[in-house]
Amino acid sequence: MAAKKRGAFSRRDFIKAAGAGALAAGVGPAIIIPGRAHAAKKTLKILQWVHFVPPYDKWFNETYVKEWGQKNDTEVKVDNVGLAALNAQGAAEVAAQKGHDLFLFMWPAPTFEQQVIDHREIYEECERKYGKPIDLAIKSTYNPKTKKYYGFSDSFVPDPVNYRQDLFAAVGMPKGPSTWDDVRVAGAKIKKQFGNPVGIGLSPEIDTGMAMRTIMYSFGSSVQDRDGNLVLNSKQTLEAVKFVKALYEETMTPEVFAWDASSNNRGMVSGKLSVVLNAISTTRVAEKENPDISAKIQLTKALKGPVRAIGLEHVMDCYVIWKFAENKEGAKKFLVDYIGNFRKGFLASEFYNFPCFPKTVPDLKKLIANDPKAHPPDKYKVLEDVLSWATNVGYPGYANAAKDEIFATWVINNMFAKAASGAETPEAAISQAEAACKRIFAKWKEKGLI
Amino acid sequence: MTQKAMTTVETGTQVARAKTGRLTAILDSEIWLGRLMIAPAILYIVLLIGFPFLLALYYSLSDITIGSRTMSFVGLKQFKAVIQTPLFQQSLKNTLIFTFISQALVLVLGKVLALALLKNFRGKWLVRLLILLPWVAPISLGTIGWLWMLDSIYSVFNWILRAVGIFGPTTWPIWLGVPHLAMGSVIAVHVWRQLPLATVILLGGLSSIPHDLHDAAAVDGAGFWRHLFQITIPLVLPIMIVAVLFGMVFTFTDMIVIFVLTRGGPYDTTQVLASLAFFTGIMGGDLAEGAAISLFLFPVLVAAAFVFLRIARRAEVT
Amino acid sequence: MAIVETRNIKKYFGDVPAVNGVDLSTEEGEFLVLLGPSGCGKTTLLRMIAGLEEPTSGEILIGGQVVNDLPPRARKIAMVFQSYALYPHMTVFKNIAFPLKAQSVPKETWQSKVEWAASMFGIEKLLHRKPRELSGGERQRVALARALVREPTVFLLDEPLSNLDAKLRTSAREELQQFQRRIGTTTIYVTHDQVEAMGLGDRIAVMNQGKVRQLGTPQEIYHEPADTFVAGFLGSPPMNLVEYDDTIVGFRPETFLPREVFGVQDDLVAFQFKVTRIEYLGADRLLYGFLGGKLADAHVISRLPSTVTASIQQGETYEFVVQAKDLKFFDKETGLRTGPRPL
Repeated sequence: MAAKKRGAFSRRDFIKAAGAGALAAGVGPAIIIPGRAHAAKKTLKILQWVHFVPPYDKWFNETYVKEWGQKNDTEVKVDNVGLAALNAQGAAEVAAQKGHDLFLFMWPAPTFEQQVIDHREIYEECERKYGKPIDLAIKSTYNPKTKKYYGFSDSFVPDPVNYRQDLFAAVGMPKGPSTWDDVRVAGAKIKKQFGNPVGIGLSPEIDTGMAMRTIMYSFGSSVQDRDGNLVLNSKQTLEAVKFVKALYEETMTPEVFAWDASSNNRGMVSGKLSVVLNAISTTRVAEKENPDISAKIQLTKALKGPVRAIGLEHVMDCYVIWKFAENKEGAKKFLVDYIGNFRKGFLASEFYNFPCFPKTVPDLKKLIANDPKAHPPDKYKVLEDVLSWATNVGYPGYANAAKDEIFATWVINNMFAKAASGAETPEAAISQAEAACKRIFAKWKEKGLI
Repeated sequence: MTQKAMTTVETGTQVARAKTGRLTAILDSEIWLGRLMIAPAILYIVLLIGFPFLLALYYSLSDITIGSRTMSFVGLKQFKAVIQTPLFQQSLKNTLIFTFISQALVLVLGKVLALALLKNFRGKWLVRLLILLPWVAPISLGTIGWLWMLDSIYSVFNWILRAVGIFGPTTWPIWLGVPHLAMGSVIAVHVWRQLPLATVILLGGLSSIPHDLHDAAAVDGAGFWRHLFQITIPLVLPIMIVAVLFGMVFTFTDMIVIFVLTRGGPYDTTQVLASLAFFTGIMGGDLAEGAAISLFLFPVLVAAAFVFLRIARRAEVT
Repeated sequence: MAIVETRNIKKYFGDVPAVNGVDLSTEEGEFLVLLGPSGCGKTTLLRMIAGLEEPTSGEILIGGQVVNDLPPRARKIAMVFQSYALYPHMTVFKNIAFPLKAQSVPKETWQSKVEWAASMFGIEKLLHRKPRELSGGERQRVALARALVREPTVFLLDEPLSNLDAKLRTSAREELQQFQRRIGTTTIYVTHDQVEAMGLGDRIAVMNQGKVRQLGTPQEIYHEPADTFVAGFLGSPPMNLVEYDDTIVGFRPETFLPREVFGVQDDLVAFQFKVTRIEYLGADRLLYGFLGGKLADAHVISRLPSTVTASIQQGETYEFVVQAKDLKFFDKETGLRTGPRPL
């Protein structure tokens, strides 16, 4: 009997082992690629994602940090992990109180506020040297309640509208859509005539999260107001949800419920979709893999809704320096110098990363207006005024811990998906989402972060 | 002088002998040798399983977040709060559906496979190899393969079914985009993944039944079903119960298949507690609530393990 | 009751013949023993009769009907296994009732039939127990009761006594024989133990290398072995076999006695026997040694019952004799029995 009991316990322990295994596997993509190193007095350890544009990593890891290290007598080590592993990696470093000196999140990381230094002086120094940062950067790294800069944003990635120029021309819209209503009307015609559906996801993944918020904001709806009060349940939100339901019914297929973050890229590049919202990685892939399609995909600015034309960042670079970082001064200096050299980064990322300090790339408009790889070369020209139509998650307020959890648990995505699929009425979907948001807001308020 | 040196040498030898004696005694003693041998395993369990488990337990009773180091004890607050949310309730329901259906299928299919593999036939090694393959391949890799096969645009299944004429030109099911199909898909992939282990366990159980018993049943007049249900299954019952328990625990606590295929979608209809815990705790930053979600089923599992093992013990036959 | 018959039955495992052409026929109600060393094919033969192995060629008939294509359950046989093969998860009652259930015997009669079978072996008190709670002897009886309960036409028993200790085996043997006589069912019994075979069998089929070497009553196969294998397999110690020209001469150790044991008789054949070793076994003395004269250096054994008190010394040579009728002759080439010839 005793032996049996022991057997039972070890089995129970196995449960935990399995759980731990699952967690480890969830962190699976975190394959750490150690950077090269050379002898120097100080060290600076940087962790960032595996960039969607591989030449950027090559430039950053093998050229830029080496040059900077030589000038500053520092050995710089760069580790790259997959996008999905960033939060788990951050959590691990906090738990260990040990890790990298510079940690790059690809979205605002307000939950880590207590663990990071105030990045105010980096902003001040950069502003003194390179002029004002864009509002989007501040909105994504500043907590108005605690008056603390919980990160430093060097760049962001625009999220323009990608549309099939040939298909839109065929239904009488050669310059592409300019309003959300255009997408609905032309999308329906295109689907009927050519069978190509609109490709805006309704699934638990990041692109859907961005697209749904874009629609909400342009309909005058939002999760929170300027001061961080929950205002989700509004007439405007209802309009937005009803619009998405109609958009889904008239222009899309159930595949949008099944998508992951790369499905819309693939669908567009394979020629199956008429419109997607994505970073320019879609067109870049098309340029390399399918030049025919590349010529047909064109970009346009944020679409107009009943209230405004507004878009979101696709991802937001947010560097943090941990309180427990060993080389804080080096990290600060690195960021300030990096901003000074950002034009190189902009080029290395093939226009993927846009500057948060616009003056660092004074010839941006000229550069993007004439890209030899693009079809036509001025394809990316529409991004020249992206700052006037791009905003942060959390608009019109600041990014904060509550919106972080709302985003991560796909509350908004599911609100739209439930209504669009008919699983719930728009009103019910909204009130369920509101209840979830209310709870999340209350939780983080109680913790003092908002 | 010489004599003295001799004495010293002798004493030295004696000491050495005494030392080896003690070491040998330890190595010869079953109790001590046993303790020595089991120590790494215990150390492993304590460090890599016991400690994280206790930590998770403590997290679930605190208000820790992903970015905080100071935490205060809040008792069962996290549990109470999260249980009331519709999302948690739906995830719990999904977890139960996911677990019970997949385990029932694993059991039946594993049994069929094991019975088939017990027989001798040409090419048996190939079948064995193919059956074990899902277990050998890395889980996330295999699941990503499934993701592609179930892809909304490039689904291999749809393509084949259309090519052979089962699907008409307008039929194109979105496997991961419709709630029931999505649940069916994640269950199917999970079954695919667990089947090898269950089959091997059941095969072990089946081959441990003395062949005479099967002969006796055949002579006594039992047909296939009577033989299966009155002789074979009762005899492998203890092993079957352990296999089911193992699979259940594994399924309750695992999220890889769901994380890779649906991330809980469409709209949370495949969200299970393990994936919800990940999204809430790691991605959403509320570690305490994530821990509470993931540990919610722990008492249930302990109770199930207790009951199952008792039944297995009862059913034990020799 | 039925007659079991095999016609040129063969079983190959790959290229290896396990049973290599056996023609055998039981008589009605007979107790037939298949005797042979391990690996001789006797169990395979029994399993083919039961339907648990498929013959490579040949026919099996039970009650005059070819049963080759019938599954075991359709052959109206019952089998007792060496391990007893009791179902460990069932009580004794359920074990015994299992064949009834499986054969769709009406449920009302189970109780009385099980009790009847149990009473045949005196295990009525054990019906509620599980097999693991029984002793070896009790298990064996349960196995027999399970075989008996549905009144088969043929009993097949595969070394059912070999798991019992020596003392129990003797009494079990007696019970088994009485039981078989009482119910009179044709029984085929496999064993490698010649004592069991001699004690139980109406007839014995001695098998070696997949063939039946001799089929006969215990007396026949002991006293008139058909070949040197049978001669050498039976008896303890076995028959002395001595080469002489192109024949082999055989005589049993208990017929090889000192000259003085016999009176003046005509039919004695005398040998010079040099005793090299003596074993005292209580009831007997075993004398090991060599023959002299024409059969020089042949190694033989004599078995003297304790009633023969002649003083025998190690290292000495004595005159030993065998009655002419006790000398058996075999062909040197084939090993088969031949007619008597003068020495």
